[in-house]
Amino acid sequence: MSKPLAVLRVFALVLLVFALTMLVPALASWQGEDGALPAFLEGFAVTFGAALLLWLLTWRHREELRVRDGYLLVSMVWLLVPAFAALPLMRHLPQLGFTDAYFETVSGFTTTGATVLEGLDTLPFSINLWRSGLVFLGGMGLIVLAVAILPLLGVGGRQLFSAESPGPLKDTRLTPRMAQTAKGLWLVYLAMALLCTLGYAWAGMDWGDAVMHMFSTLGLGGFSSHDASFAHFNSPAVEAVAIVFMTLAGMNFATHYMALRRRNLAYYWIDPEIRWYVGVLYISVLGLAAYLWWSGAYPDFPTALRFAAFNTVSIATTTGFASTDYAQWPFFAPLWMLFLCSFVTCAGSTGGGIKMMRALIVFRQVMREVVRTMHPNAMRTVRLADAPLPNRIVFAVLAFIFAYMALIVSFTLLMVFSGLDIVTGFSAIVACINNTGPGLGEVGPATTFKSLDGFQTWLCTLAMLLGRLEIFTLLVVLSPAFWRK
Amino acid sequence: MERLLATLNVFARVALIFGLTMLLPIGISWWLDDGALGHFDEALLGTLAGSAAMIWATRRFRRELRAKDGILLVVLCWVLLPAIAAVPLYLGIAEARPALVYFEAVSGLTATGATALSGLDQLPPSLNVWRAELHWIGGLGIIVLAVAILPLLGVGGRQLMKAEVPGPVKEARITPRVTETAKGFWIIYVMLTALCAVSYGLGGMGWLDAMIHAFSTVALGGFSSHDASFAFFDSPLLEAITIVFAAISGISYVTHFAAFSGRSLRPYLRDGEVPYYLAVLGASVLLIAAYIWRAGVYPEFATALRHAAFNTVSVATTLGYASTDYSKWPLFAPLWMLFLCSFATCGGSTGGGIKMMRAVILYKQILREITHSIHPQATTFIKLGGAIVPNRIILAVLGFGFLYMASTVLFTLLLAASGADILSAFTATVACFNNTGPGLGLVGPDSNYGILGDFQVLVCSFAMLLGRLEIFTLLVVLTPGFWRK
Repeated sequence: MSKPLAVLRVFALVLLVFALTMLVPALASWQGEDGALPAFLEGFAVTFGAALLLWLLTWRHREELRVRDGYLLVSMVWLLVPAFAALPLMRHLPQLGFTDAYFETVSGFTTTGATVLEGLDTLPFSINLWRSGLVFLGGMGLIVLAVAILPLLGVGGRQLFSAESPGPLKDTRLTPRMAQTAKGLWLVYLAMALLCTLGYAWAGMDWGDAVMHMFSTLGLGGFSSHDASFAHFNSPAVEAVAIVFMTLAGMNFATHYMALRRRNLAYYWIDPEIRWYVGVLYISVLGLAAYLWWSGAYPDFPTALRFAAFNTVSIATTTGFASTDYAQWPFFAPLWMLFLCSFVTCAGSTGGGIKMMRALIVFRQVMREVVRTMHPNAMRTVRLADAPLPNRIVFAVLAFIFAYMALIVSFTLLMVFSGLDIVTGFSAIVACINNTGPGLGEVGPATTFKSLDGFQTWLCTLAMLLGRLEIFTLLVVLSPAFWRK
Repeated sequence: MERLLATLNVFARVALIFGLTMLLPIGISWWLDDGALGHFDEALLGTLAGSAAMIWATRRFRRELRAKDGILLVVLCWVLLPAIAAVPLYLGIAEARPALVYFEAVSGLTATGATALSGLDQLPPSLNVWRAELHWIGGLGIIVLAVAILPLLGVGGRQLMKAEVPGPVKEARITPRVTETAKGFWIIYVMLTALCAVSYGLGGMGWLDAMIHAFSTVALGGFSSHDASFAFFDSPLLEAITIVFAAISGISYVTHFAAFSGRSLRPYLRDGEVPYYLAVLGASVLLIAAYIWRAGVYPEFATALRHAAFNTVSVATTLGYASTDYSKWPLFAPLWMLFLCSFATCGGSTGGGIKMMRAVILYKQILREITHSIHPQATTFIKLGGAIVPNRIILAVLGFGFLYMASTVLFTLLLAASGADILSAFTATVACFNNTGPGLGLVGPDSNYGILGDFQVLVCSFAMLLGRLEIFTLLVVLTPGFWRK
């Protein structure tokens, strides 16, 4: 049995801090006099008030949280924080219903980057800052989620990933461990944020855009302040900076942390995922560049390489920026990009999908089955980074991947059921469940998710949440057994 | 090398017998004087001479076959026999390309039923008989494969399905076991075919059509002697007969055998798959009937039910007849039908896909992971038909399920890269890989695979073989470890 009241108390504290972050866009709005100030102040007041009320109701329940309470806490944070975050958007853009506003903030907070808003260039700066700020906050939450909480819960074989992270492993109390892990990782995250902002500014963005896009880049979100996304800048330098930081953000932050603390780059080589991640990513870039050049989408190879590099890295790392309408490319290219985004990023990064680690495990398990077909009595273990994996983890990973695929199939069928064509239905679900952003067809890089109806929008919202919480976190909370004594 | 030669010796004997089955179309061609007699004569003579030569050349390597040789023999049969079977088609159809007739023959022997030929109504009847006979012979092979060989090899958790098979399980020599198992099942298969043919005949088909369609129905193939498939007959009675026999053929022959030898229907109820199979099939028919009726495709529910029942059962059981161009229905309906064909049929049947048994195990494994998330120390079991499924089998099933989905993605990408649109690429893959037949788009029920390029047709042929041999069988032969001493 979980302790809902004690969890609510912690959630109230999280919400309290979150309410304070609304003051940043409020400040920006006041400074720039862009007219969105009342929206943010109102949003702040409601959120702060609700958090305070919740805390007052539950402050007596100062019980130590146990690992299992983590499921409830995590689900509450990712489900409810976006609801409060939607308040300023709804207040400032009255034509935006709750469905669309919640979609937008879930998309931000899960670092997806799919948008229902058009005319981004004419929106007040503070609104755009808030959207991408959500991505940044979501990314911060995500790192802790991925490195500290999910491994502790053991979601989909995540136990494995706890190996490299600092802190006592055997500890079953949730909060101290989270706090400890968070500190080191957030330091890395903030340092990268600073570098990325400077990089963008150096490459020619103005400071506002630089901060905004840095938020989006590090969270691997993909919100932009321009309808044209990166095509607006049309600058190879800006794209190069983005590529570098997207690639970095797709790596395990625990590895960054170790490398930084020990001042030793060898950690990147020891990491079992990173070489595959970088290898698959950049071979795909070269392959797609060649494919685009060969199929005549671009007359010369350097141009093809430039566009292939930016858009492939952007989609594969689940960011979702676009420097051109790649949906117009020969169909194989965008399909391959979407395929990559489902597994390429590392565990412990801000990216989405099933993660490279699980892909490696499942690949090795398949090889093991092949051997077993030939030698039925052979004993073989699946190994990763030279350590044998317990069967239990292999089970969890396989079940996770199967649940992930079953989810894509069933959600796509539901999208088609509600009347969409298959390209739109399938790509929207893939883009949402992997927290990537733009799909193809009606929801392609040149358009938005606005054309979806209410049911479809909710389906995409659910897909983003399920993908971000690695399916089982949410499923567990929804199962009756979780609530039984 | 010795293994290859020893297996080739046995394969040559199989080819010799296979060649003799051409006597049926030869007889019909002679009787009807349809002009194809010479082509069959040439093919028969060539096959007999070739096999005899091969038997003589490899006579010194003759030995008792072991499990690994069994794998190789299965692969050789399914890859090379279609090449022999394609000869009369190639000689008899002037405009046929080699890739297309090979595709046609693979489609026949794997009981897929995807055709690359048009103008079926104008073909010499003996060629149509030959196509359908390929299904029927393929069906014989599939039953042996499904109930004797794959369980012995333990492909993708197939061990599970051998429990009830008569005969010594520990027997490592492959030939006696296969012969013994085959006999009992083949009797049922032949009886079903005869019953089906008589029913079709009494239902109003000509005797030749009745034979052709009985061959095709019982093997769950799908070749017809008419371009319009079952729309040609436009008879509710014939459609009802098809539905009954397709549904029966989708059930495991092991279960049929148990029911037949015990003269009791109880084995069907106690079976781990049949209740799910029938429930899923029945519910889907009603769902699709309601869906297309509401969408206004048919003015009254009865008509909608008639067409939904026939086409859904046909596609879901991986048969692949069409009584109307269902690709014109709202996309959800045909997509759901294709979704069903990927898992609905039972383990020891002539159907394709991952099989209901594996689907049930996969589903139960996900529930088990949820329980494990809540109670990390819990020891849980998966039960099927009252017995506990060992972990090793679950791992194999999960590995198979993953490989199956990964192959679907890969084949879709291959077809897309070679220029097909996504709907055609995806549905062609699903239809071929599950040995169903017609897809959607370019390869829809009112079109055929002849429209694809040679490369794409070969990819589809490979998909059919891979699906029929349950991936691992083919994969194992392609690994270097298989050929090592």
